[in-house]
Amino acid sequence: MKNISLNSIVLFMCLGVLSSCAEKQDFDQYDDISVTPTLEGSILYVETPERVINQIVGVSFFSQIFNFDAFSEDFIAERVLDGVVTYEVENTTSKELDITVEFLDASDNVLDTENFAIDPAPTAILRREITYGGASGRNIDIIRNTSSIRVSAENLGDNTSTSGLPDPKIVLRSSAKLRIRLK
Amino acid sequence: MRKFKLALATLFLGHALLFSQNKQVLYDFTEIPQALLINPGMQTDYQWYAGIPALSGISFQAGSSGLTVHDIFADDGVDINEKIRQKAIFGMGITDELSGTYQIDLLNGGFRGKNRPADFYSFGIYHEGDAIGYWFKDLAILAYQGNADQLGREFDLGHLKTRGEILNVFHFGVNRQMSSNLSLGARAKIYSGIIDFNSTNNDGHFVTNAGQNNLLSNTIVADMQLRTSGIESFRQALSDDSADQAAEITRIITKRGFFGGDLGLGMDLGFSYNLNEQTVITASLLDLGFMYHSGDTRNFTLKGSATVEGVEIILPDALADPNADFWQELVDEIEALVPFEENNNGYISFRPTKLYSSIRYNFGKPMQSGVACDCNYKSSGQKGGAVQYANSVGGQLYAINRPRGPQTALTAFYLRRFGRAMALKTTYTIDKFSRTNIGLGLNAQAGPVNIYLIADNLLAYRNIADTHYASFQIGLNIISWGKK
Repeated sequence: MKNISLNSIVLFMCLGVLSSCAEKQDFDQYDDISVTPTLEGSILYVETPERVINQIVGVSFFSQIFNFDAFSEDFIAERVLDGVVTYEVENTTSKELDITVEFLDASDNVLDTENFAIDPAPTAILRREITYGGASGRNIDIIRNTSSIRVSAENLGDNTSTSGLPDPKIVLRSSAKLRIRLK
Repeated sequence: MRKFKLALATLFLGHALLFSQNKQVLYDFTEIPQALLINPGMQTDYQWYAGIPALSGISFQAGSSGLTVHDIFADDGVDINEKIRQKAIFGMGITDELSGTYQIDLLNGGFRGKNRPADFYSFGIYHEGDAIGYWFKDLAILAYQGNADQLGREFDLGHLKTRGEILNVFHFGVNRQMSSNLSLGARAKIYSGIIDFNSTNNDGHFVTNAGQNNLLSNTIVADMQLRTSGIESFRQALSDDSADQAAEITRIITKRGFFGGDLGLGMDLGFSYNLNEQTVITASLLDLGFMYHSGDTRNFTLKGSATVEGVEIILPDALADPNADFWQELVDEIEALVPFEENNNGYISFRPTKLYSSIRYNFGKPMQSGVACDCNYKSSGQKGGAVQYANSVGGQLYAINRPRGPQTALTAFYLRRFGRAMALKTTYTIDKFSRTNIGLGLNAQAGPVNIYLIADNLLAYRNIADTHYASFQIGLNIISWGKK
């Protein structure tokens, strides 16, 4: 009797395990997994007081190439899908100014140019968003290959006047929002 | 490669997959010698037992607190990315976890003292792996959707909490019947660590705000640490293509697992007490111990704080050095403020301490266990046998110390004995991982040969892919109740 009970229970347990089942799974869905976070941060901040502009004779008062390897880092360059670069220019000087931002590759070839013509103060803050990638954006390779940024500024006004606003200066702010493919 | 990716994805997406350490079916299952390992104060009536080497006790437990394979990979026509978003990334909380344990008895035996028949000695070596990782929610959200358009949101770096170890445990326990009502037990343990890693005391955050000068500011405040021991040996062995990697890994495991690696000390305590003729209470405290890791340690720290608003050029000062590399200066500044450093310092880790307790009521037809004697319920074990009842019913409480605090489980059980030949124990357990965990244990005795088989969460076998918990334990012993 004991053997019958033992055998029955063992059989029952074995059948229970063997009859366990699983609803249909589709592990091929792994290939469809898409992980594309969007990262954002500031790029470049340039500030020039009006007194500095007044000290420099000539139209061009500033032109400088800044090394900027953030975009060309492998993590970004190999994975970036699209993005938006946002500029904000604020002019509180008494002069009409012309600001040019150029993205350069490792050989200093110009990949992209953005120009800002700003009237003398008082003017509203100029904000511009440039889209890269996607159907309507500029070529995303610009971002991938950018190794440095050149900022040039021209004074289209005079070298003597001073704005009545406190602490007059020209300020260029910029940030980038990039969508990255991790998987 | 595909299988590897699949395994990784399953691991990542099923991060709440849990391997609990609760052995609620085995606990106080006095017919099974391995139950002594989870209560050294268990009532025993064996004269001696010998586990079949490497087969006397094998246990593996798995479960899921927040996510199942079915949740993600069910063939239900729903976009997998939507399932990941809803059920994993935003569906799980920081208390959901992936943890695991397995245990293999390499050697296990026990014998009753010749001159002290009230004492039962047990000893052995078992191999154990244990790991836990809590769902790193904020870090997962940051990786999954990024920091864009989330001004002011602090991503908590403290969500990273994980620890794990692989070790051999050498143990020797004494179980003594102190009186007719009370059995006490203690087990001394020497731990020989093979691998250890832990990153449990992390703090800090990452936040993006509107910038003071520029459009945005990214701030990181970090106090993070990862400590490892033994892993570097395996990494070197695996990276050396010229060597016989399998042989080298075997050598490392053997060396470190037999006192050539990290060492530690610990103990288990337990008791059983007869409240009356049919009611027994028990409790045990396991793995009160620590390990000291040294020799092959490799630790990493990230500590400091920094706020970045991109490259800042403020004229005229910025033009003082025409060759200045503002980008590199920014990178250097961040690395100085939040240094990522490495060291080989030794460290101490504490074992995950476990607590069991139970109350058992015995009823039904009394029967003699072991050899015949004129003993009663108060003389269990002293003369090789004790009165056992055909039925037992009761409750158990289990708790384990984890990095985010104790985890508990409550179990109700019913045990049925069919003479000496067989005993069945069924349990119903409720814990954070399952409300429907029904377990079943079978102990069979054919002469001196003892075999036991335990399975857990049986209802989950209806759809194994959707289970939150499953486990099994199996073992083979030779037991004698007669004279030595």
